[in-house]
Parts: sequence; structure tokens; C-alpha cells
Amino acid sequence: MAESEKAPTTRRDVLRGLGGALGAALAVGALGRRPAAEGEALAAPSRPLADAHPQAAANAAPLTSDPLAQEDVLVRMERELTRALAKPREQRRWVMVIDLRKCVGCNSCTVACVAENKLPPGVVYRPVLEEEIGTYPNVTRKFVPRPCMQCDNPPCTLVCPVHATWKNEDGVVVVDYDQCIGCRYCITACPYGARTFDFGHFYTSGTPQGVPSLLGQDAADDYERLANAEYGESWPRSGGDESPVGNVRKCHFCLHRLAEGMLPACVTTCIGRATLFGDANDPDSLVAEMIAKPNVMRLKEEMGTAPRVYYLL
Amino acid sequence: MDTHSNNGHERGLSRREFLKAAAITGGACALLGQIPGALQAFNQAMAAGESAFFEAQPENQLYTVCLQCNTGCAIKVKLLDGVAAKIDGNPYSPWTLWPHPAYDTPVKDMATTEGAICPKGQAGIQVAYDPYRIVSVLKRKPGTKRGAGQWETISFDQAIQEIVEGGDLFGEGNVEGMRAVRALTDAELSNEMKAAVQKILDEKDAEKKKELVKEFQTEFKDHLDALIDPEHPDLGPKNNQFMFVWGRMKGGREDVVDRFVKEAYGSVNMNGHTTVCQGSLYFTGKAMSAKWNAAKGAFDSGDKFYWQAETGNSEFVIYVGSNLFEAGYGPPQRVPKATDAIINGRKFAVVDPRLSKLAAKAWKWIPIRPGADAALALGMIRWMLENEKYNAAYLALANAAAQAAAGEPNYTNASWLVKIKDGAPGKHLRASELGLLTPQTVQKDGKDVTVYVDAAGVEFPGDTPVALVGGVPIPINVLDPKAAPVMGDLLFSGKQGEFQVKTGLQILLESAQEHTTAEWAEIAGIKESDILELAAEFTSHGRKAAADIHRGPSQHTNGFYNNNAWYIVNLLIGNFDYKGGILKLSTYDRKGSKKGQPFPVTKMWGEEEMHPFGVDMLRTNTAYEKTTLFDGAYPTKRPWFPLSSDVYQEDIPSIGDAYPYPVKILMTYMSALPYSLPGGQKVIEILADMKKIPLFITSDIMVGETSMYADYIFPDLSYLERWEFHGSHPSVPWKVENVRQPAISIPGWPTVKVYGEEIAMSWEALLIAIAEKLELPGFGPNGFAEGVQYIRPEDHYLKQVADIAFGEKEDGSDSVPEADDEELRIFLEARRNLPPSVFDADKWKAAVGNDESLWRKTVYVLNRGGRYEAFAKGYKGDKVAHPYGRLVNFYQEKTATTINTMTGKPYAGYTRYIPAGLSSIGEEIPHDGYDLHLITFKAMTMTKARTISNYWLLSVLPEGYLLINSQDARKLGIKDGDMIRVSSASNPEGAYDLQNGKKHPIEGKAKVVEGIRPGVVAFPLGFGHWASGASDIVIDGKVIKGDPRRAVPLMANGAMQLDPVMGNVTLSDVAGGSAVFYDSMVKVEKV
Repeated sequence: MAESEKAPTTRRDVLRGLGGALGAALAVGALGRRPAAEGEALAAPSRPLADAHPQAAANAAPLTSDPLAQEDVLVRMERELTRALAKPREQRRWVMVIDLRKCVGCNSCTVACVAENKLPPGVVYRPVLEEEIGTYPNVTRKFVPRPCMQCDNPPCTLVCPVHATWKNEDGVVVVDYDQCIGCRYCITACPYGARTFDFGHFYTSGTPQGVPSLLGQDAADDYERLANAEYGESWPRSGGDESPVGNVRKCHFCLHRLAEGMLPACVTTCIGRATLFGDANDPDSLVAEMIAKPNVMRLKEEMGTAPRVYYLL
Repeated sequence: MDTHSNNGHERGLSRREFLKAAAITGGACALLGQIPGALQAFNQAMAAGESAFFEAQPENQLYTVCLQCNTGCAIKVKLLDGVAAKIDGNPYSPWTLWPHPAYDTPVKDMATTEGAICPKGQAGIQVAYDPYRIVSVLKRKPGTKRGAGQWETISFDQAIQEIVEGGDLFGEGNVEGMRAVRALTDAELSNEMKAAVQKILDEKDAEKKKELVKEFQTEFKDHLDALIDPEHPDLGPKNNQFMFVWGRMKGGREDVVDRFVKEAYGSVNMNGHTTVCQGSLYFTGKAMSAKWNAAKGAFDSGDKFYWQAETGNSEFVIYVGSNLFEAGYGPPQRVPKATDAIINGRKFAVVDPRLSKLAAKAWKWIPIRPGADAALALGMIRWMLENEKYNAAYLALANAAAQAAAGEPNYTNASWLVKIKDGAPGKHLRASELGLLTPQTVQKDGKDVTVYVDAAGVEFPGDTPVALVGGVPIPINVLDPKAAPVMGDLLFSGKQGEFQVKTGLQILLESAQEHTTAEWAEIAGIKESDILELAAEFTSHGRKAAADIHRGPSQHTNGFYNNNAWYIVNLLIGNFDYKGGILKLSTYDRKGSKKGQPFPVTKMWGEEEMHPFGVDMLRTNTAYEKTTLFDGAYPTKRPWFPLSSDVYQEDIPSIGDAYPYPVKILMTYMSALPYSLPGGQKVIEILADMKKIPLFITSDIMVGETSMYADYIFPDLSYLERWEFHGSHPSVPWKVENVRQPAISIPGWPTVKVYGEEIAMSWEALLIAIAEKLELPGFGPNGFAEGVQYIRPEDHYLKQVADIAFGEKEDGSDSVPEADDEELRIFLEARRNLPPSVFDADKWKAAVGNDESLWRKTVYVLNRGGRYEAFAKGYKGDKVAHPYGRLVNFYQEKTATTINTMTGKPYAGYTRYIPAGLSSIGEEIPHDGYDLHLITFKAMTMTKARTISNYWLLSVLPEGYLLINSQDARKLGIKDGDMIRVSSASNPEGAYDLQNGKKHPIEGKAKVVEGIRPGVVAFPLGFGHWASGASDIVIDGKVIKGDPRRAVPLMANGAMQLDPVMGNVTLSDVAGGSAVFYDSMVKVEKV
């Protein structure tokens, strides 16, 4: 879809929720597979994931002595995601759980997010903070991934002068790139530093161009110019100033992937399996189990932000 | 051959429009009408709404294998308009999901499932789309020096002409080309000469040896000019003066280079880079796996391999210099198992002078003194032996029969008697020496065969070792599982007959008792309680405990012995081949060497291949004492490496010294010798010297740290555009093969014509074009057999995929299913953006012999990026399903009878502590004024030499640094972030001399931390480049500016200690071959 083809009237709807408008935005795909009832939430992926993984059934018999190793949690969470997507949207509650004991500070999530969302220099949705604690030889290192907390009381949305950012019906704090005027008040308002501004930079800027014997920037920057799929739309990066250049950007739990039954990019590539994702309203989900653990906490809870990202210590 | 259009800039007008295509629709709208008919339907279907997000469509996914590090994770490349848009883990592979899903899951059903890969893997896109990639052949500008950075573009054909035919290529006089250096061209003659040379080598008498040389000269009098030196025919033909050196190469390309260099060109000189990584680990494995030859009654060589811990099931692991959260083969496949261990109370300890990310999560961090790894191990061994915390029942198993009777997966020679001569353990006592066996000649299959017979008339295939059973000496039939089981006494020291003997375990005990545990702790610079706690914990989990070793203990001058000590710690609890213990890797045969496999590809020759012979440049294939160079004198000019191979640090300095002979043509591939080797500045000196290396050709994806000194650089494909077989790693219990295949093609990528066929400009194109010009056997229309061509790269690789698909059972019952029509459709559609020079379905099918069934099986494997055994098949009960399964050498007779040519004395064949940091002749090296111990490590975002182009990674960690403990920093007045210089006795200036008046300072920022042992400083490898886009070069008169982001510090390999004896090479582990990264003393100053 070229920019001009976007229907402006649907902009806000698109961002309103996976159920409402993202579903509509994806209607081409979703409807093709399974007719959606009027007003129904996003169509579930056409393929029941359990079928895709025969081993899940086979796992009734333990494969290893370790019950946790019977199914990779990534496979389990993908299955749970399908289940959640089949529910009416108001009945599900997306949360992320980050087990700091298992975070190895590898930054796979950071880079996967950059790749998935085609983030330019300076825009980071998912940094991993590192701290050294103690004195030699009694010393350790702590790694803390810090995505957007998707607060239930988000301080960032209140300060937006043009109502370009809000918490959508999936509980995800979204940004309407077409509405955003780039004032960056929200960046200041976020107590977690979860928002960054897109200055329109390219990673390949300043590299050789027009040298016949080298690939050169002109041919090498294709991957940077590919359209990203944030919010179920298409956002090409042509080098001009069209959105999301000039906008504030942030983590959105990869709504466009969720719509396809795919886990957020940071979850799917977590080599430590430290990042978990799912529907906390599903009592059988991994995340529901984990947020009830005694070692759970949330960042800056005292501010009343009610984050949807939980940490296990 | 001729070159076709190519500069990467002749692109369609619609490129930007293309890229504007919606990510959501996979670009279907933009593509409509531009794609040939067969794919129209697909694109229309996509546009009609059968798909949504492009990443979720199997038709936009290609499975291949990462090469950002050697872990080689299987990946899924997601394509948008043929551009690699995103890389994720291949969900079929045990590298990225644990457990991995069923292999027969249809690819369509895997479309939205992804495994986890590391940040380097994610950023691999930036390797392929690197603006600094070369797309034309570059030639050093005549009249300029090597390394001056002045280049001219030259057509591929012209470049091939020049390197093959030679001539006055640079206005510096005549240069011999590849034709001239290939002096021996007659395959039959090479075979005859090789046999005659073997006779010379095998002759032990010096005088008779001389006679044989004379005979050789007479017999081959008409061909002596083909030899390097007719006085030393064992140096081989001049062909050996062509040498191929590679950095990172895997199966497939490795098989091709073997074909090209050895059997086609006829040179013995092709060397990998093993010793710059963890060479001594491989060669400790080789020594410990030396194979008993029953007929000879002696040991043959072992296998070049090593064992790793089975992370997923170990209850306790000691990681010794094994950094699996940041490297160590490797994070995606091992981290989830280790983090699972954290949560589920499976402890691990980390032995490392630096608080690695792994150490930060460990039950115990032991910040050991660098190089003292064996001291810690021997402390544990002493405690284990004295407290009888070892598996005596297992260690007593002295032969395959005892192993079988006990139901064990392997056995050791711990109870075999070893003769002690002058106080030193030497050979195993043989049964005939005690009169237990006597030789007899018998008739077998109509031939006279010597067998050995005991007093009762029981026949043995040869002389045997001996064990005591209840104090009585018994001959051991080692290999026959149906022979008498021998459970030997484990501890004995005394006389048997006229011989002073000890058991292997006795020798170990005495070695461990050289010091008390308190003393061992002091040597290791740790607390005695650390040793005791580790030993107690290690011996509390039966066989589900392991010591996992890697680069840390290996890259010292004593690496071989460090590794051996830790393997012996493992052996004492008998954990080899056990679930949760240590294991070896297992891969599907890719060479078709199993019966029934369709293509025995390495043996397929349309005409007779050459038989290369002669001592190799690294002096690894022949014992010095057997050669005509041997004059009884030690030390030799440079060490010989009878226990190792691929001794990377020796390649260029050996050429520099022309030892054992000069090299005329050097070809390198994917190797950053000056950058990645300790003491790399000495490598530069030689590479830049046109007299020492008259012709230097390289294949590279950019002008890198090595190729900047080359005469010709041929553009190669990145790993996302080409073939390889990545194999496996020892911590993976499943039988697998990872298949790297073209996932993308750079639009406008140049093609060349070889044998009339258009193929992509690549390393393969270089070799195939040379082969065409020289009419080498093994290439061309009849390369594999009459009418079976080797012209396109996949002619070779697809045969190998077919072998993997077929499996290893003669009747084909081990083969994968055939791809059904739907899978075939996905296969074709996923490759719709690859040009015909890369993908042509008919030509691919022809490469597997146009056999429909085999073709569909091949597709089945390609659709999954490899072949992966089912999860449950990796184990059998409490053991691994693919065991090492034979004799483990607790004591190494072969090592003990091998001479160290720098001392003239044999190597020790047992576990012992040797201090680290000694010179090649075993002497201490003074380091007055240089008081800090320099080591290296890997940052998660960097591979040793090839990730600096990945800007996404640089955004995470933009530059390297020198880690220094706050105590040392305070003493030196250094604050966090201060610029510092690293210098040493070997490099007092603290700079690389890049030649041509250019210097590269060994400077960077200090990072002051608590998490490193005081007295030790460390830097992450991968930064501090001076080429690879980091500095300006000139091509065809135009200045190409370097990118300062690639030039960020710090690279301190150049400050490492040089061997004082040779002066032009780093310290080495003369036994295990490792280049030494961890035994240098340096000074750190604020600048």
C-alpha cells in the first residue's frame, strides 16, 4: 500500500485495538482465511498451532527427565496465543513477564526488535540495562531488559496535545504516527524512558555511494528502506520525512505479529527464555502462572502506573 | 569465461517503489505483472488476501544457516521482495528450540513458529548488505606496495589470466603464475613419486635413506625439475609451493578446497585456522582418541575432535574458560539449557579470570590465575583419588569385551601397565615382553599372518598391552568384544619381569600428589576451599556432572595439558557418553561414504586425480625424524607439529622463514590473519613482502585486514548467498546436518562464465575458472564422472544434500520423506527472487541426477534447512544415542613416544602441570616492567573478526575497551573511560606497524570493573579494525572513505608476547598447536 492509498478515516480505528481496527486493517488477510463475525475480534490464524506441532501431543510421554523441557516455552506460548486470539478481545489481558534470573544480557531482543520494526539509529524499543554489583571477588552482573511497560495508567498518553497516543483496547499503548506532531512531551512524561524519537536517520548513512566496484549505500540500504508493519500498516522509509520519521516511537508488543499468531519479536528470540508473553486472563497460561510467583515485581509500581510488564527476581 | 554486467547500480527504476510495497502484503501488489507467469498465481493469491503479514508466509521464508560465528545456528530468512528483511531461528533445529519440533512437520505449518537466535544472527542482514562489499575483482595497482591501499578494478577473465599465466604483473618483474608452479601435472607420475617418497620416509637407517634418495633421483631423473628440491624429494613437487589458507570454512566448501588444492592442483598445503580458536582442545581430543591397532599392536592416530558437556541434562557443570553465554558453540543452543539449570537448581561453576555473563549467574565463580587450569584440576583429582570419589568399576574396564560385559559405552586404559624409563612414563608394556604371548605365523585366507598366542593357545591378533588382574599380569585383547573381558587393577607401581611399571591411574595419582591441594590452590591463585567444594559437588551427581572446557584453558602454551587434566577429571567419574556427562557430535554423512548413498562425491573423478605428497608447510603430516631434513639436531628452526594440524599462527611466519621451503603463491579465504592472530604485526611484515610471497590471491567480501595486502581480491558471496554444511557441535546429542544455501541474491550481483555456464561471482567461480584454464581434473563437463559435470557450485553441494537426504542405510530406509507437491510448490515460490545464475530448478534437479524421488527428498531437506534427528532419538536411557563408544586414552602412549622438535625430548603422555607462558623451547620469558596479564574474551555482539560491519550490533556496544580491576586502576591512576595504551616487551611501542608508514595504535578506553581478577586485564575481540571499511582506500583513483564507526578501538592482539626463539610468531602450545592469547604480560598507561 502506498502512503496515498491509506484511508485517513481509519487511522484511529487502526490503532484502537487488535479487535477493532487492526483486525480491519488486516481484513484482507484475516477474512480470506476465516470469515469474521460482525464486530468480532481479530480472526485467529487459520492454523491451530497444536496441529503444527505433533510433538506437543507426543509430549504426553516425557522426553526428558525435566518436565519443563518437554516443550519449548516458545512453542507453548505460541499455542497459548492462538487460544487467546480466539477469545473476544475484552476477555484477554496481554502481559509480558521477564525472568531476570534467566536474562543473560545478550541483547538478542534489542536487535530482533530493531530488525522487526526497522528501527533507525537512535530508536530503541527494547534496551537491556546492565549493572555490576559488589566488590571483587564478591561481585555479580545484573541485566534488565526494559521494554514499554504498557501501563494501565500510562503517564505518557495524558500529555499528548493531539491525542496521538493512547491505550488501545488490547491494553497496548499505541502511537498514531499520522496524528503525532513530534512534540516529544510523551518522551519526558514516561518514567521508564520507553519512548524515543525518529529523526529519520539511516544506519548506512555516510557509507560509500556511486563506486562501481563496491556495493555502496544505494544498493546496500534496501533492508533499511523496507516497509515495517507496525500497527498492521505499511510504513516504508524512503528517506523523506513521512511517518514514522518525525514521530515518537515505542514498543507495541508487536501487535502486527500477534495478529498473525506470532509472538513479539523479543520473546521469540530470547535465547535465555527469560521473556514470556501471553494472556494473563487465561489461568492455564504460562504468564498467568508466573505473575503469581512470590518473586514477582514491577518497575516503579509506587508511581501507580500499573505496568503490564512483570519481572521475576 | 567472461564477465557480465554487474555493478549493483544498474537497477530497475522501480526499486524504491518496490520497497514501498506493503510489508503486510509481502509486496504482492508491486510484484504483480513483473513476475514470470508461473508465479503470477501465487502473487494474485497473496493480493487476494490469502496471506497477510509477509513474515508469516512460508513462500517468503528460506531456511539456511547463520555464519556470524561458528555456532552455525539454523535460521529462517524472511524475504520481502527478495530482500532479507528479518532473520529468526529455524524451528526444526535443536539450535533454536529445546526440544525441537518434529522434523516431519509440514513447512507450511512452521510458518509462524520461530526459534531463538542471538543478536549477531539477527544482524547478519548487515553482512550481506554491507556498502563496503566488493563487486569487482580488485588488483593491487602496479607501482604501489602491498597494503598501500591502491587498487584497480580488473575484469574477472583478465584476473584469471594473470594469476594463472603470471608475467610482469606489477611492473616488478616476472611473477610465476599458477600454471608454472603446478610443475607436476601427471597424475600417474605423482602416484609413483608419492610411493617412492613414502619408502624414503619409512626407512629408519640414515645411510639407507640416502640410498633411497639417490634411487629416487635415478628413477625420476626426467622429472626432477618438478620437485622443490631434488636433494629432498620428501618436500614434494613444486605444486606444494601453492598454499591455501582459510579462516572460517565449513563442510562443502572444505570438500571443494580439498578437491581443488590436493587432488586437482596437487599441493599438500591447505590449512585451516583451528589453532587460533581452541586448537589444543581438538588435539587433546585427538591424542585421547588415538586408536589401538590390534594387528600392529600399537596406536594409530585419533580423531580431530573434542567433547563438550551435555548442558541440557547435567546436574552440575564446571565451565572452564567456556563462555557459553557469549560464545563457545554456542549461545542459542546452550543458553536455554543453562538458564533452565539456574531455575531448577542444577548448579554450575565458572572458572575464568573474568566475571563473564555466565559467571555472573553461577553458583560459584573461580577467578583463576590465567594458565593455571591444570593446577585446579589436579587439586580436584588428588582429592577425588585420595577420597576414592572416582568410578573405579568403570576405570577398571580395560577392553571392549569388559565394556560390553558391563554395559558401558566406552572404556579406558587406566589400568594398562606403562613402562617407566629413567623415571618417566613411556610405552605400554607389551604382553610379549613378559612372555605372556608369543608370535606365530598362521595361514589366514591363504596368506601368512602373524598372530600372538598365549600359554593356553588363545590367539590374539597382535601383541597386546597388559593389565594386572588381582596382581597377575594378563594380556588384553583390546578391541574384540567377544574376547575375555579384562578388569584391571587400577593402582600399581613396581616390577613386572625386568620392567619397572605403573598403571595409568598410578601415574596420575603421583602427578596429582606432586602438590597438596593447598599448594595446587596457591598455584592456581584460588582458595583451597574452592578446590574442595568443586570436587565434592562434582562427585555428588553420579555421571550427570561435567567439566566443560573451551578456549580458556586451550590458548596457553600449556593448553594441551590443561585440557587433558580437565578431561581426566571427567573420566574419573566416567561421564563420557552419558546423558548429562560429556559427549561428541554426530552428523549425517555428507560425503556419500556410506554404502548406498547416491554420491560418493569426494571420490567421484572423471579422470585420475593427482596424488599430492611431501612435507606440508606446517610440518604436521610427517615426523621430522622420518624426513631427509633430519640431521639429529634439535631444536629445529621452527617447531614441527606432529600432534596437531591447521596451526594458523605458523602459516605466514613459516613462509617468512621459507621453512621447510619457500611458498610462491598464497591464496587466502575468509581469514583475518594480521587481525585475529596474536602478534599480527609480524604477519603483516611478511604479507607485505613481495619477495617472501611473490603472488598473493584472496577471495573476500570486502577489503579486509588480510586482503588489503593481497595482489588480487576476488569478490565472494556472503553466507546468506551461498552453500555450505555447517555440521554440529559436541554439546548437541542429536544426529544432524545444517545446510547453508542461497537465501538471497544481491540485485545486480556480477556473474561470470565458466565452461560456458553463467554463475555468480564467488569463491567457487574463482576456483572453477582456474580449473578450467589449467584443465584440472575433477572440474568441468566430466568433473565427477563421464558426463557428470562440475561447473555450477551446486553440482557439488546438491549431491551432498542428496546424500544427507538419503541417510546412512544401504537400503534407503534412513532417508527423509519425499517433498509432496505442496512442499515442492513452496520450495519453488520461496526462491522466486533468486536469479537463474543461482537458482534454476532444472539445473538443480540435474545436479542430483534427475532422479525425481531423490530430488524430492533433497527438496525436503532444503525446505527445512538441514536434517535433524527427532528429539527423543538423542538419548538411550541414561546414555547418549550416538556415543564416542570406544577406548579413551587415560594414558597417551602415542604422545609419550612423539618428539618435541624444540627440545628433542618426548612429550609427556600423562596429565601433569606445566607452567604457562613458556617459550617454544620451554624456557621462562622475562617480563620486567610489564606486570599485567593480558587476556581476551568475546562480547556477545562481536565475532572475532567479521561483525564490525553490523551497525545494529554497534548500536548495542559501539566500541571495545580494556577491562581492568579497580584495584589495578587505582594504582595506575586510571579512571573509567580514560584512554590507555597497551604495550609489552614484544611491542614496546604499543602499536601495529601496518607498513607503508602507517601505524595503528593499541589504544582504547579503560573500563574499570570489579569483575576481573586483579592483575589481569582483558579486552573483547572484534573491535579496533584498520581495514574492513575502517580506513580509506583508493580504487581506480577514487578515494573511498572509511567509516569511523568501524575503526573504534580496541584491538590489543598486537601487544601479545612473541616467541623469543623465532621472533616472528606468537607463543604457541607446541603440543596442542594453539596460538597463545592468554600468556602475555603488558603495561597499561594512560595516554
